[in-house]
Amino acid sequence: MRGPGLLALGLISTVTVLAGLFGALPTPDLAAEPPLRVLATLPDLWSITRSIVGDLGRVDVATRPGQNPHDLEIRPSQIVLVKRAEILVRNGLEEDAWIDPVVESSGNPRLLRGSTSVIEAAQGLALLKIPSGRVDRSLGDVHPSGNPHFTLDPGTMPTVSASIADGLARLRPDLASRLEANRREFLARVESRFQRWREVLAPYRGARVVSYHDSWPYFYRAYGLIELGVIEDRPGVPPTPQHLVSLVRQMKEQGARVVVLESWYPPDTATAVARLAGAKLVVIPQSPGAVPGTGDYIAHMDHVVTALAKALADP
Amino acid sequence: MRMHTAGLWPLPLLLLSMASYLPGPAQAQDVDAVRQELTAVRRQLDSIREQYEKRLRELTDRLEQLETRRPAATPAPSPAPAAAAPTPAPTVPLTAAGPAPTGDEPSLREMLSPRQPFALAQPGRTLLFDIGVSGDFVTDFTSRNRERRRDGTFAGRENRFFPREVELGLFGRVDPYASAVVRLSAGEEPAGLEPSDQSLSVKVDEANLTLLALPLGTTARLGVMRPRFGTLNVVHQDDLPQIDRPNVLSRFFGEEQLDGEKGVEAFWVLPLPVYNELSIGAFDGDNEVAFGRGTLRDPLVIGRWRTFFEFEEHGGLQLDLSAASGIATDAHRNTILALGAKYKWAAPGSGFPLFTIAGEALYAMRTVTTEGDDTTPPRDRRFDRWGAYLYGQWDLNRRWAFGVRGDWTELAVERGREWAVSPYLQFKPSEFLRFRAQYKHTEGTGAVERVANEFFLQGTFILGAHPTERF
Repeated sequence: MRGPGLLALGLISTVTVLAGLFGALPTPDLAAEPPLRVLATLPDLWSITRSIVGDLGRVDVATRPGQNPHDLEIRPSQIVLVKRAEILVRNGLEEDAWIDPVVESSGNPRLLRGSTSVIEAAQGLALLKIPSGRVDRSLGDVHPSGNPHFTLDPGTMPTVSASIADGLARLRPDLASRLEANRREFLARVESRFQRWREVLAPYRGARVVSYHDSWPYFYRAYGLIELGVIEDRPGVPPTPQHLVSLVRQMKEQGARVVVLESWYPPDTATAVARLAGAKLVVIPQSPGAVPGTGDYIAHMDHVVTALAKALADP
Repeated sequence: MRMHTAGLWPLPLLLLSMASYLPGPAQAQDVDAVRQELTAVRRQLDSIREQYEKRLRELTDRLEQLETRRPAATPAPSPAPAAAAPTPAPTVPLTAAGPAPTGDEPSLREMLSPRQPFALAQPGRTLLFDIGVSGDFVTDFTSRNRERRRDGTFAGRENRFFPREVELGLFGRVDPYASAVVRLSAGEEPAGLEPSDQSLSVKVDEANLTLLALPLGTTARLGVMRPRFGTLNVVHQDDLPQIDRPNVLSRFFGEEQLDGEKGVEAFWVLPLPVYNELSIGAFDGDNEVAFGRGTLRDPLVIGRWRTFFEFEEHGGLQLDLSAASGIATDAHRNTILALGAKYKWAAPGSGFPLFTIAGEALYAMRTVTTEGDDTTPPRDRRFDRWGAYLYGQWDLNRRWAFGVRGDWTELAVERGREWAVSPYLQFKPSEFLRFRAQYKHTEGTGAVERVANEFFLQGTFILGAHPTERF
């Protein structure tokens, strides 16, 4: 074997031996109550987790506010975030499945799916729109496990926050009581605002609404709105003209007054549908932080409810 | 004696208490009734046992009859059940009415009834790994001259529509500590002298195990793989940013660059605020264009450092520096260095428009023994050669993108160099389907003296699971 070959094999062997030695050494007793280092995959989970963690640690987010999680490509900077986190909070459905290869590239096996350090927020929820029958790509980039946008219904917060708080407490039992206290305080604030949001949207119960992407079924359920249709009828696939014509006709017949466009989608098609159907287009960010001042879950929901109520109120 | 008498005094008391448990006349009648019931139950049990044994005998006979109708060899697996069966099929008694099994020959009814030809997973039965199939079909239109000289970009497949790579990928977690990927691909080989020489070859593109839970944040891969070298080497043919691989990569390594290398690779993401990844690997060195020694006694050693700067709404910049060093078939060392850079900017929100500019420069240091003649003996000659490519791409929206790539490269060991320019257009109806058209103008000197104009078309599809796109 020649020089460089020997050098490389020697280097690999040395690193492996050293890694084994270091791995076998006992972990030093670090200071009591080191801060939590949490990573959330999506901004909504980030804002909820931040409310629960409070000043007990740091919560990072793997996606930028306002970024479409459906079209996400892996960036090396996400690998750094995963590398330094000790707990991962993920949606639990397919919306953030892109985090798996990020974790596998990070050298942080604690955050591999199935590990106790991974919290799946969807756990325990009754999910909507679980496709039945034959599921394949003719339906588009469909979510086979159900619609993942459950945080848009504040009614899911007790379950979601319990999953997150329980997961955090499982790994850090010393912080359990403080995490639970933070969670209760968060839930109290949500409940208080939820009452107000219901009052704001109460006059529009039964109103028919069309959205660009199928992001809102949980939101509609929370406030008694009716989903008349979805412009992007097959997720990830631009709609066909036939579908748009049929949708516009339906909107006219049933008096749908509002088209909701998630802020990360191009406005052209939704604008055309709204114009043809005589409806109002309202552009709403689907996740917190996309609009300045809405980084908090409650501020975000405030923004969404207010914008939609305003659009529905317009003659 | 006194002692004995004193020791026996509890005995009458014990007898008395036992006697209190003996049945009286009424209790004796109850016992008779229970005895009769027990007898009746025993009879029923005997009856059930007889029925059960009779039924078992019938079933055994039936099974033997069925087995004698089948050939001695292991029976072929039965076709998968019909699609989308929502509940598991109920257990049907063998004596129940219905199409009786008639040996190996399926009945007309069975042949006509719809069935799912390939069903590994169905409701209630989940497959524990992902399966993805991708197809990449390419056409290379060029002049008759290029076709005759077989010096087009896709040499030996000029003016043909051909499957460049049809790939079956199986990937998933092996256990909590490892994941694995197996990719088998088939593609059309360059033709021989006759058009009828076209053939498809099937090969193992990747078959490797990734150990995820090693100490100190080490991740290691072993098996057959595309090693971490430069920017584009890890990218499969169907995922390349343009239809063809840049000239410098195919001149220095061959059309598929460094693929199918067998060996082991370890990498680390350094615990720093900015992404820095180091990787090192040792491989057999089977790539015949650049190395070809094919033995771990003289391994191909590859190392790469990659970093990334996140500018948030202003984009991101990735830089990589690689080195590959191995022994060529002529027993001389070949060392290739690569420097790559990639910058991407995406509009906030929708992510479109998306602008990408990327390139790589390679520098090769190789010693080759030149042939001698009557007057000069063979001698070793050092070749230092380099080449580069640079491309820019503008994604207008999810569907449409266009770009242009420039190539300049020297030949690895022969005298000569070439440059090329390739504008291209891309249309993606969905995430899983893509079409491209690319024009390529090439001018070469020396051993590749020519002016070539080529027009490529490409159609690519993905079926099933596919890995997430990377930066």
